[in-house]
Amino acid sequence: MALYNFKKIMVVPTAKDFIDLTLSKTQRKTPTVIHKHYQIHRIRHFYMRKIKFTQQNYHDRLSQILTDFPKLDDIHPFYADLMNVLYDKDHYKLALGQINIAKNLIDNVAKDYVRLMKYGDSLYRCKQLKRAALGRMCTILKRQKQSLEYLEQVRQHLSRLPTIDPNTRTLLLCGYPNVGKSSFINKVTRADVEVQPYAFTTKSLFVGHMDYRYLRWQVVDTPGILDHPLEERNTIEMQAITALAHLRAAVLYVMDVSEQCGHTLSQQLELFNNIRPLFANKPLIVMANKCDVRKISELSEENQACDRLLAHRVDTKMKTKKVHDVLNRLHLAVPTKRDQKNRSPFIPEGALLRRKAMETNAPKRKLERDLEVELGDDYTLDLQKYWDLMNPEEKQDKIPEIWEGHNIADYIDPEIMKRLEDLEQEEELRAKAGEYDSEEESEDEEMKEIRQLASQIREKRKLKILSSKEKDTQGSRMPRTAKKVERATLEKEMADLGLDMTDKDDSHYARRSRSLVRKRKREVSAPPTSRTRSQSASRPPRDQSGVRDAKMLKKVKTMMKNSQKDMNQQGRKGESDRHVFDVKPKHLFAGKRKSGSTSRR
Amino acid sequence: MRIEKCYFCSAPVYPGHGMKFVRNDCKVFGFCRSKCHKNFKKKRNPRKTRWTKAFRKSVGKELTLDYSLEFEKRRNIPVKYNRELWSKTVEAMKKVESIKNKRQARFILNRLKKGKELEKAADITEVKKNIHLIRAPHAGHAKQLEDKMVQKLAEDVEMDE
Repeated sequence: MALYNFKKIMVVPTAKDFIDLTLSKTQRKTPTVIHKHYQIHRIRHFYMRKIKFTQQNYHDRLSQILTDFPKLDDIHPFYADLMNVLYDKDHYKLALGQINIAKNLIDNVAKDYVRLMKYGDSLYRCKQLKRAALGRMCTILKRQKQSLEYLEQVRQHLSRLPTIDPNTRTLLLCGYPNVGKSSFINKVTRADVEVQPYAFTTKSLFVGHMDYRYLRWQVVDTPGILDHPLEERNTIEMQAITALAHLRAAVLYVMDVSEQCGHTLSQQLELFNNIRPLFANKPLIVMANKCDVRKISELSEENQACDRLLAHRVDTKMKTKKVHDVLNRLHLAVPTKRDQKNRSPFIPEGALLRRKAMETNAPKRKLERDLEVELGDDYTLDLQKYWDLMNPEEKQDKIPEIWEGHNIADYIDPEIMKRLEDLEQEEELRAKAGEYDSEEESEDEEMKEIRQLASQIREKRKLKILSSKEKDTQGSRMPRTAKKVERATLEKEMADLGLDMTDKDDSHYARRSRSLVRKRKREVSAPPTSRTRSQSASRPPRDQSGVRDAKMLKKVKTMMKNSQKDMNQQGRKGESDRHVFDVKPKHLFAGKRKSGSTSRR
Repeated sequence: MRIEKCYFCSAPVYPGHGMKFVRNDCKVFGFCRSKCHKNFKKKRNPRKTRWTKAFRKSVGKELTLDYSLEFEKRRNIPVKYNRELWSKTVEAMKKVESIKNKRQARFILNRLKKGKELEKAADITEVKKNIHLIRAPHAGHAKQLEDKMVQKLAEDVEMDE
């Protein structure tokens, strides 16, 4: 049914978008490659296809628009009238008509150009024809810009109209603005209509649903109606009038008894009489609203029209013809009584008490909430006061939980004192038995000496191992006897080992053994005055030749040392020594920071 | 607030530290640091990982069976707060703690005694074998000889007298 498909109308694109859409689609969905040297029928077919494709697209889309939008003659007169009120029937029909014309024009254009294409004899000619055809179609559509925009707006508004079913049970609220129709509908249904003190808060129809007698009822809220003739009514009021005119509903004419809406009761009565003709064939109830402000009894007797008055909190007993029909078909089945025993409903005592308390308005016990309100900012939620302890004065205690890394809760035991006593007794016994006596290291002198010697031995051993590691095993080895052993080192070593090395001047190693040997071998010894010897004796040593004085000597020495510093520091044997002793030292490459990003630690 | 025990190394986990892992059979594992967590994920057995308390206890390096250790036990039935009981408990805790520490220390000390004896024996053998590294074999001999000679001379002189 067209009624409920207002939300399903396709989006109407703007003219520009429409054109872009279709043209890009043509480009994508049709073949794009064509060459001059193809056969002419192939070229013609290629371009004809493009024209037809574009025409097809336009046609489809425009037809869809035309079918989607409801035809005012086909829908329920309520909706027809409503749409007329809102969108102007003529404009609407015109817009759709224009679209239709555009569609036909596009079809004609396509037909013509396809016919002309038959006479295209080169790629260039066919291409121009296609361009012309597409251009004309797009121009046609460009001219429809206004209609398309209007239709898009209509569509958006249509989709937001409330779904009022004109055929079901309906209650219609009408009356002056600000009398309380929206408040009523908010109370009675789950609708959430805006309620404000200014008039014309409700600007369109609103629907709410409620249940009464197991049936669903629609309650329709209308914008207020002012009292002037039909021709002078604006769009908002016309909506209300339309609803009144077309919906077969029970009408609730709402009157404001307290005159808070700004209109006197007589004015409201006037309006009522004026719209009376609209109420033909519909059950009518006049509702006196806002009677908490001004009681009905305070009304003067002039207002005789307010005979049948209802307080706005009382149930509305509406009977439309339909309900009668349904009632005839309903029947409530009740089980027959077995005996005369009275079986009344069971209400528990607590519920009764509570009901009584509610009615008598007895003072309730002080709630936490009341306390909170009372104390304001100082309020803290203190649940400890509800605790059930043996000594109630301990309720506010701060309970310790942890001591020095232990949970106190793990030690809590009613018998802990007894166990502690046992433990202490045990401890005493052990102490008596001598378990905790610290043993004196009763070592005699001998043992101490042995220890000391052992540590010395170990140290000596390690040093020896280290020094042997430092030896250069790569080079050629000289026999031990080739090296000259200094007297001082020999004597020192032997002294360390415990031998007595004092006054060893005439020992075999301290004498100039060579001269002794020489003396034995030769009878006549040549005096040591040969030229070479004397020359070597008189030549100054290298570190003193060329040096003038002590100051210069000192400077020379420091220069020498400085130049050697670099090499010495690097620990290299010479310039070509590029040996790295430890390519990957462990302390830089171990652990989590081992990826080589650490240069020192 | 409770101080939990790390599942892997049995260290105390204070609130706000470490991680917890809940397995599909609803068993909760708490860890004190990522080291323990990672080891757990590698499926290592804490009883075989040498640095954990579980290993040390299982292999007898620490005091296991003792009355003082029975005081700290996780109790599942709470006891209602009673100021007197709580204050007594805190005092008792302190005493129990001191006794426990003493006993644990004594246990370890006893364990390490054997080492001392072995050390002693090792020193003696070392000295016996390698004394030549620090003392020449005839280190004091010359002196001794001299002394002997002097003594003999003195005796001779005496005898002469």
